[in-house]
Amino acid sequence: MTDLHHLPPPPPPPVAGAPLDPAFVADATVDARDVSVWFGQKVALSELSCSFGPGVTGLLGPNGAGKTTLMRAITGMLPVNQGRVLVTGQDPRRERSVYDRMAIVPEDEAVPRGLTPRQLCGYVADLHRVADRGIIDWALHTVEMTHAADRSMDGFSKGMRQRSKVAAALVKNPLVLVLDEPLNGADPVQRHHLITLFKRLGGEGRTVIVSSHVLNEVEAMAERVIVIVRGRLAAAGGHHAIRDAMDDVPRQVLVRSDGARRLAASLVATDAVGGMTLDGDDLVISTTRARDLAVALPRHARELGIRLTEVRPLDDSLESLFRELVR
Amino acid sequence: MTAPTTPATPATGGRRPSPLRPIAAIVGYTLRTALPGRRWIGVLLPCVAAVLFGLLARGLDGDPTTDFVEVANVALFALVLPVTCLVVGDAVLGAEVRSGSFAFTWMSPVPTWQIAVGRWLGGTVVAAGCLAAAFAASAAVAGIEGSMGPMALAAAVGAMAYVAVFVAIGCVARRAAAWSLAFVFLVERLLGAALAGIAQLSPAWLARNVHAGLADVSEDLVRESMPQGWGAVVRLLVVTAVALALAANRLRTMRLTGSAD
Repeated sequence: MTDLHHLPPPPPPPVAGAPLDPAFVADATVDARDVSVWFGQKVALSELSCSFGPGVTGLLGPNGAGKTTLMRAITGMLPVNQGRVLVTGQDPRRERSVYDRMAIVPEDEAVPRGLTPRQLCGYVADLHRVADRGIIDWALHTVEMTHAADRSMDGFSKGMRQRSKVAAALVKNPLVLVLDEPLNGADPVQRHHLITLFKRLGGEGRTVIVSSHVLNEVEAMAERVIVIVRGRLAAAGGHHAIRDAMDDVPRQVLVRSDGARRLAASLVATDAVGGMTLDGDDLVISTTRARDLAVALPRHARELGIRLTEVRPLDDSLESLFRELVR
Repeated sequence: MTAPTTPATPATGGRRPSPLRPIAAIVGYTLRTALPGRRWIGVLLPCVAAVLFGLLARGLDGDPTTDFVEVANVALFALVLPVTCLVVGDAVLGAEVRSGSFAFTWMSPVPTWQIAVGRWLGGTVVAAGCLAAAFAASAAVAGIEGSMGPMALAAAVGAMAYVAVFVAIGCVARRAAAWSLAFVFLVERLLGAALAGIAQLSPAWLARNVHAGLADVSEDLVRESMPQGWGAVVRLLVVTAVALALAANRLRTMRLTGSAD
């Protein structure tokens, strides 16, 4: 059991004007410090520290990285073996009043047997002593379940169950909303709609934490990303910022111009270039020093009188970022 | 199909419903969700068996009252009562914890004692209702009308205690059904038969003595050094209260994992 009295002291507050560690936010509603969770011999989380504030934060990592464990630790479903988790300044394992404004949509398909989405929302509303029963209709409408609101969830697809659970979470009018793979099983239109909803909830000042394996959708909805690999914090920040921080990660840049061959000949002696392939007008440059290349490329093009028509990274997606982090 | 625009989040406000609303909701939810079709079979089959055991007692050659008490002790209190309550007790909590859907209830500001009591009440309504009727019917079928009331009361308070114990086990162990079976057949039947100290806290042994004390049966059929009649009822109430307190305490600190874990 965690003994708060024997914890290492939290890091000192940042000096005014000094940049904040990207794993932390200034106005944190959820704060995890040195969190370790293990199951027997298996370490699921290891001294992980990060915080979450208003807006949408994506939680990314390969299978078994510890995303779900972190979400369960945040929501108090699991005790932490070391460290501490605070939600709005309270320990969710000790203060059940935290749940008044915190909701989780678990990844499990399980929903209460025999209940309709409306009954599930009504149950959650009763547990939270919600006065305004209109919020049930609002929640069901918001996730587009009005048409199936009075059908038993037993026969629902995974996507419909997920949406029903999101509706039940919304009934709480949560300040902190934790969503474990909430888009699983939803069709593309519903995914788009749910992403829009999560962004809107984040925009309203709620702390929305979303894990997902659909990385392009996380890019679309999360302004901030926490990457976990093997139970440890691997990276944090905007996905472009994370990429920039990884100077030693090889990446590829596609350059289109009206003089690809001459440009390649000029760049070949540049330290920023690790390798090149030429295919017609397409020049693909491999580099581990993207910042230097960004300076050298336009300078060489200008000196040679070459017009650049397109410059873009080929692998600047979270998918590729993931691969590099896991490697 | 186009995605409709999502309406703005309504402002919550107004008078908060009664503090008893959550516990009433938990009882209603338990009654609605915990006993789907197959579970009802597990509840009703033992109840039918209870009536058949009454017929069996009627068919024996000895003193009708003695025959019925012996059949009741061996079959009804030691088998039908715990098995039925195990089905119900596991359904109201353990099964939900295993499936992962218990998070909907647990992640609420409702105090854990209300969750424990709400689940127990829902389960008790089903188990006590079915068993009291079945045990009374069993006495009637056996031709011992004077035992109908005591049998119904013994079944009801026995079920009340058993469901509380199984709810507590559901809070402590992930494989609640297996541990509950071990409790009934190893602890109560095996150890409880040999050790009076265990029988003192056993719902099955105490329920037997409720019936034996109130139906005024021969002393040969009553286990000595244990409370009888209303004394046994009080003891069962204490067992229920202790089990619920344990359940409420464990609910506060339990680990909630998913169905895949």
